[in-house]
Amino acid sequence: MTDARRDASDGTSQSASALESRALAAWEIVSVAVSTLVAEWAVLALGSDKTLLAVPVLCAFALMFYSHYLRGETLRELGWRTDNFWRAARLLIIPMLAGSFVLVAVGWLWFGGSFSFGARRAGWAIFGFPVWGFAWGLLQQYALQSFINRRAQLVFGGGGAASIVVVAALFALLHLPNPWLMCATFLGGLIWAFVYQRAPNLYALALSHAVLTWVLISTLPPDALRGLRVGYKYFG
Amino acid sequence: MNRLKHLLRVYSPFATDDFSSTPATAAPQTPPPVSRLSRLSRALVAKSIVEALFVVALGVYFAYSNVNPFFRGSIDKADQRTIEGWVVNEAQPGERVEVHLYINGHFVSRRLADAPRADVLSAGRSFDAYHGFVFHTPSLPPGNAYEARVYATHVAASGARRVLQEFDGARQFGVTAEAKNAPVPDALRESEERR
Repeated sequence: MTDARRDASDGTSQSASALESRALAAWEIVSVAVSTLVAEWAVLALGSDKTLLAVPVLCAFALMFYSHYLRGETLRELGWRTDNFWRAARLLIIPMLAGSFVLVAVGWLWFGGSFSFGARRAGWAIFGFPVWGFAWGLLQQYALQSFINRRAQLVFGGGGAASIVVVAALFALLHLPNPWLMCATFLGGLIWAFVYQRAPNLYALALSHAVLTWVLISTLPPDALRGLRVGYKYFG
Repeated sequence: MNRLKHLLRVYSPFATDDFSSTPATAAPQTPPPVSRLSRLSRALVAKSIVEALFVVALGVYFAYSNVNPFFRGSIDKADQRTIEGWVVNEAQPGERVEVHLYINGHFVSRRLADAPRADVLSAGRSFDAYHGFVFHTPSLPPGNAYEARVYATHVAASGARRVLQEFDGARQFGVTAEAKNAPVPDALRESEERR
């Protein structure tokens, strides 16, 4: 085989691999989203035991871990790092202030300003305590950014608006059918996906997640948020 | 001055440079080898199968635990005075089944099916005769477009769910203008006394 023919063959193989990688990335996104929807809609509706939630959750995490391994992604690349914490935090400050302003404005104009900063109310059990808020945020941000955002960048190209909008839209979709929470998660998803693509740091994003959740439950009334319930549980 | 410029550059929220020693890489750069992609696709197929089987199993379990296939019964009569019938849970023939009456889709009343029905016992459907139900038909405007449905109640998920199961079809009936002050039938009086 001549060098030119070998180069052409390698090029074809590499482009086929890239195409397959993109197609698989799209499938991975859909697969993890389906696992979440199964947990939210099928298990909570049909199952009598909440421990059954472990099945779709474990399936999703097993896939994510295996995919990281097969694609050769390091923890540092995924955002488990501290060196860019301040950079991510700086990127987050202005969008977070803007997002908080929007939430306060909605709470004031739409719901008559029934603010309850610091009071016990919907979602307090999970999000009121900083540790739980941070841990829950970290888990969600890992799945959303380290997996879905990275796969969305493979499919739609990195740094563009398409991947950011897709991540935010998917994040909102997973909070169906809670309308106010869907709006808030779309807004938050845009902010976090944008920041992650510029400074991948999960700790900063988790902190931001906890803070914005606290602002959300403090500005919008519990009746509107329905205790941050999603999926079938929203109706219960 | 240079120091100030550096600080402005570093702390600008819109800075695009990474100031750490290693550049930030949010997106994967090169596709993995084909063999690894094949393993990934097999993992995706396996996960899809596992989840599909899980959802099917969940659906089957839900149907099995929430639907009782052993209710047998009938609405024998439906008119402007009473709606009567019987129902037995053949899985537990000794228990009294709670029944709910709906007319034209609206809930009317509920009661235990415990009125005496000797014919149910003689037909071998139960161990005793007390499986009948008799509902008063509520006051309704005259008309011929009434539909009565009676549902047996099945308690599922350790009491967390109460499922209404229809054991017989709908019964059509009409109401005439002279329906008031109708005599109470014996079966109804007997059932009321037992309650």
